[in-house]
Amino acid sequence: MHRVLGDRRAVLLLLGPALLVYSLIMLVPTLWSLGYSFTSGNTIDGFTGNGLDNFHRLFTDPDVRHALWFTAKYAVAVTVGQVVAGYLLALLYVFFLKKASALIRTLVFFPVVLPTVAVGLLFKNLFQVGPQTGPVNSLLNAVGIESIDFFGSSGHAFWVLIGMDIWRSMGFYAVLLFAGLVDIPDEVLESARLDGAAGLRLIRHIVLPMSFPVLMSSLIFSINGTLKAFDSIIALTNGGPGNSTSPLTLYMFQTSFTYGDYGYGSTIALLLTIVCLLVTLVVFRVSRRDLTKD
Amino acid sequence: MNTDSSAARKKGRLAALTASTAALALFTAACGGTGGGSASAPKNFSYLTVNENSTVKTALGTLSKGRCADEHKALPLKVESVPQSGLDQKLQLLAGQDALPVQFAAGNAPALTEQLYKSGKIADLEKELDKLGVLDRVEPAAISTIKALYGGKMQVLPYEYNIEGIFYNKKIFAENGIEVPGTWSELTAAAARLEAKGTQPFSASGQLGWPLTRLISGYLYRSLGPDALQDVKDGKAKLTDPAYVKAARQVADLGKKGYFGKGVGSIDYDTSFNQFLTGKAAMLYMGSWALTNIADPKQNTVGADNIGFMPFPAVTGGKGSVDQYPSNVGLGITLGKNTDAKTGDWVTCIAENYGSTALKDQGSISGFKTSTDVKDANEVTGQVRKTISDSKQNVLWFEALFSTKATTVSQTNAAGLVSGSMSPKQFMQTVQDALSSK
Amino acid sequence: MALDTTRTQATGTSTHPRTPAPRRAPRRRGGTRLWVKIVITLLLIVEIYPLTWMFLTSLKSNSDYLNHSTWSLPSTWEWGNYAEAWTTGNIGLYVQNSLLAVVPALALMLLLGTAAGFALQIMVWKGRNLTLLVFLTGMMVPPQMILLPLFTVYFQTGLSGTLWPLILTYTGTGLPLTVFMMATYYRSVPRELFEAATIDGAGILRAFWTISVPLVRNALLTVGLVQFFFIWNDLLIALTFTNSQDLRTIQVGLLNFTGDFGATQYGPLFAAICLNVFGTLVIYLFLNQKVMKGLTSGAVKG
Repeated sequence: MHRVLGDRRAVLLLLGPALLVYSLIMLVPTLWSLGYSFTSGNTIDGFTGNGLDNFHRLFTDPDVRHALWFTAKYAVAVTVGQVVAGYLLALLYVFFLKKASALIRTLVFFPVVLPTVAVGLLFKNLFQVGPQTGPVNSLLNAVGIESIDFFGSSGHAFWVLIGMDIWRSMGFYAVLLFAGLVDIPDEVLESARLDGAAGLRLIRHIVLPMSFPVLMSSLIFSINGTLKAFDSIIALTNGGPGNSTSPLTLYMFQTSFTYGDYGYGSTIALLLTIVCLLVTLVVFRVSRRDLTKD
Repeated sequence: MNTDSSAARKKGRLAALTASTAALALFTAACGGTGGGSASAPKNFSYLTVNENSTVKTALGTLSKGRCADEHKALPLKVESVPQSGLDQKLQLLAGQDALPVQFAAGNAPALTEQLYKSGKIADLEKELDKLGVLDRVEPAAISTIKALYGGKMQVLPYEYNIEGIFYNKKIFAENGIEVPGTWSELTAAAARLEAKGTQPFSASGQLGWPLTRLISGYLYRSLGPDALQDVKDGKAKLTDPAYVKAARQVADLGKKGYFGKGVGSIDYDTSFNQFLTGKAAMLYMGSWALTNIADPKQNTVGADNIGFMPFPAVTGGKGSVDQYPSNVGLGITLGKNTDAKTGDWVTCIAENYGSTALKDQGSISGFKTSTDVKDANEVTGQVRKTISDSKQNVLWFEALFSTKATTVSQTNAAGLVSGSMSPKQFMQTVQDALSSK
Repeated sequence: MALDTTRTQATGTSTHPRTPAPRRAPRRRGGTRLWVKIVITLLLIVEIYPLTWMFLTSLKSNSDYLNHSTWSLPSTWEWGNYAEAWTTGNIGLYVQNSLLAVVPALALMLLLGTAAGFALQIMVWKGRNLTLLVFLTGMMVPPQMILLPLFTVYFQTGLSGTLWPLILTYTGTGLPLTVFMMATYYRSVPRELFEAATIDGAGILRAFWTISVPLVRNALLTVGLVQFFFIWNDLLIALTFTNSQDLRTIQVGLLNFTGDFGATQYGPLFAAICLNVFGTLVIYLFLNQKVMKGLTSGAVKG
C-alpha cells in the first residue's frame, strides 16, 4: 500500500544524517557520562569504580533532596506562570486587540532576545535595597511599606526569580499559543456566539477545548525547559542566599566541576533526566486521555 | 503487509547499527592516543588566568615588551582568560586531556591545586626555582605563606603578595573623634558611634561572601591563636565548638546592628569598594591589593591621603596578636609540569624583574623582591609595604584549608549569617557538615 | 482557508474581524475597553521600562551607575561607551564568531531535522515511533551532562581551537526539538500528496524537497527563529568549548567585560548589550511578519 512511502533507501537517506549527528553529540556522550555514575573521582585523579555507592549517597544526601524540591517548586511555578500568562496574552491578542496586536506582540516578545546576563543585572537593580533603593523598593516605600532585602531571604529571592523567568518568556508562549487560537475556525466561534455563549463561557466551553493540544505542547515544552533551568538562576542569585535557590542542574555542575566529583555529578544528572522523562510521560498521558475523550 | 513490516524492522536495526558504530568511533577516538602533543615542548609561554584579575596579565605583558623581550621572542607569551566562575571547570577539563597551559591560575580553592600537584600535573616550584638559581629572588615570607596554604609545598608563584587588614577613612574617624581601634571591643564601640552619627561603619561584599568570613577567621586567630583553623583541619577542634561559634556570633552581631548597611547579600565587589572610596562607609576589610584602587583618583574620591590601614584588632585575653597578619598570594599562579629551557628562561626573567615592574607600573606588591628602589605612590602604600617586610608570622583565612565544597558553602552562606536568616550556630554547623562530608 | 484567515489576522488587515455582533450592549463594551486599556498600559510599562533602563545605563559613567539611583538619568551622557564597547570589547569579532557558529548550526539543524521529521511522519516504516521517542529523550537530557565527553572528543580529534565544537554541539542539542516539531507539522500534510506525486524511490526524495519543504516553509521559519534565540543566547556550551579569546561568542564576550575593562565597567557593558539586543531586534522585526505567519499557520497542535 505504502510502497513509495516505505522505501528503505529513502528513509535511510532522510533520517540517517540526523540520527548520526544526534547519536554522536547527544546519545553517546549521555551514555558515556552515565557510565561515570558508577565511579568516583574526576579527570585529574582518574576514575575508580564504586558500584552503587553514588546511588546510596543520592538517596541520603540532604542537598539533593533540597535541590530536587527547589527544582520541582521552581518548575511548577514558572511553567504554570509562563503558560497561563502566555495564554491570557494570546486571548488578549486574538479577542481584544485584533488589528493592533502586532506591535504589542513584538514588545512582549522582546525580552526573549535579551541576553541572560543583562536580564540578571536588570532584575538585581530593579529589586535592589542598597546602597541605592531600587524602583520596586521605592514603590513599596511610597505606599508605606519598608524596603525588603529581596535577595537576602530564600522566600523573596524565589519569587523574584519566578517573576523574572515569567517576564522573560511569557511573550514567547503568547505567540506560540496565539497560533493555536487563530487556528480555531471563525464559523465555530460564530455559531457558538449565536447560541448565546460569550465572554468566559465562550472561552471555557469552546476556546479552551479547541486550543487544548497546543496548550499541551506548550506545557511539555515549558516544563522541560524549567526543570533544566541554569543560566537565569546563575545570573540572578547564583543559587543563593546559601544554596536556597540552587536547582539540581547547578548542584550537579558544582559537584562535577567545582567539587571535583564527576562520578557523583553524573548520578545527579541521571536523576534529573529521569525526572524530566517521568514528568513528560505524565503530561503526555493526560493530554492523550483528554484528546480521545473529544 | 507482511513484507512491509519486515523491511521496516530491518530499518530499525539499521538505525541502531548506525548509532552503535558512531558510539564505537567516539570511544576509540577518546581512548586512543593520550593527547595531542602534550609531552612535546610548549610552543607558547601560555598563561591561563581569570578575567577579574588584570594585574598579572598586564605586568607580564609589560615584561614581554621590555626586560623579557628576548624570552618573548624565543617563546611568545600567550594569555587566555576565563571568568573566575568558570576556572575550575576549565582546569578539570584541560587536566583531563593533559593539556594544561605552561602557567595557569590555580583553582578557586587551594584544594584543587593540591589535587593537581598530587597527580603530578604541576611542578614543585621550590625545586624548579632553585635549579634556575633564582629562589633567593622570592621573599621568604611569601614562601612560608604558600607552604602553609599548600600542604608544605611551594605550588604557586607569588605574583601577588598580600596582607589583609582594615582600611579606614581617616577623615571620618577624625570627624567623629575616633581613635584607631586596637581591640575588638574598641572596634565595635567605634562602629556603634559611627552608626549613631548616621555613617555606615563597614562596607562589605556579601555577594562574594569572603569579605565577611574573613572577619570570622580574623576573630578566631586573635582569640584562639594562629593554629585555630589548622586544628579544625586536623580534627582537633570543630567549628561547632563554643569558642568558634562565638566568633561567628560576633560577626553576626555586626550585621544585626546594621553596620554593613542594607542588602549586604547583593552587594558586589565594585559596589563595596565604591562605598568606601566615596566616603559612604568608614571601614573596609580588604587585602593590600586594594592599594591599586586607592591610588586611582577616578575611583577614590576621598583621596589616598585620607585612607589608613590597621591590623585586625586584638581580642582581649586572646592567644593571638595583632602583628599576625592574614596573608595570601592573591590569585595563585602555578607552573605546569612540562617545562623546558625556554620556559626556564622566562621564569628566570620573571623572578628577576616582576617585583619591580608590578610595583612601579601598577602599585601592586608581589612576593618577588624588587631589584630597583621604587618610590611609594602614597603614604598608605608605604605603610603596607613596611608592614609586609616587618611581619614575622602570618596567618591564613577562614576557608584556606577547607575543601572546595566547604569553601563554597561558607562563602555562599556568609550573607545569611550577617542578615540574620541563619544563626551563628547554624552557619558553623552547615560549614562543618560540608567539611566532614569527604 | 485556514492559512488565509491567519494571514489576514497576522498582518492585521482582516476584512472580517471577529467583532461580536453589533447588537451587543454598548455599556459592557465600554467596560471591557477600559479593562483592556489598563492591562495594555501595564504591559507597556513592564516591557518598555527595562528597555529604557538598559539604554540609559549604557550612557552612564561607572560612578554614575554606582552612586545614583537606578532610574535617574545619566548626569553626563557618555556616548563614548559605545565606541569603547565596540573597540575594546571587540564586539565586531564576537558578533562575527556568533554568526559563524549559529548560522551553519541552524542551517544544518533545520535541514537534518526537516528530513528526519519527514521520514518519521510521512514515510511509513516500523520502528518510527520508537525512533521518534529516542529523539524525544534528547529533550530531557540536561546539557551539562554531555560537556565532559564532548570536550574529550573535540580535543582528541583536534577540533578544539576552532568553531566546529560549537557548530556541532548546537546542531546536536537542537535536533530533538527540531525533529519533534517538524514531525508535528508534517502531521497536517496528507500522505496522499506524495503517493500521487511519486512512482519510484528516487521520486520520494525529490518530492520531499520540491513538495513537502515549501509546504512547511513557515514552520521552518518558526522553528528556526525559536532555535536561533536559544543558540544565540547560549552561554554554557560556548563557555566550555571556546578556549581562545579569538573564538569568543557575543554572550561569552559580555561575561568577559569585567576582565577587559579591569573592574566591571557597567556603561560599556550595557552599551555592548544594547548593540547586541538592538541588532537581534532588527533581525526579528525584519522577520516578524513572516514569522508570525509561520507561527500562526503551522499547527503546533500535538
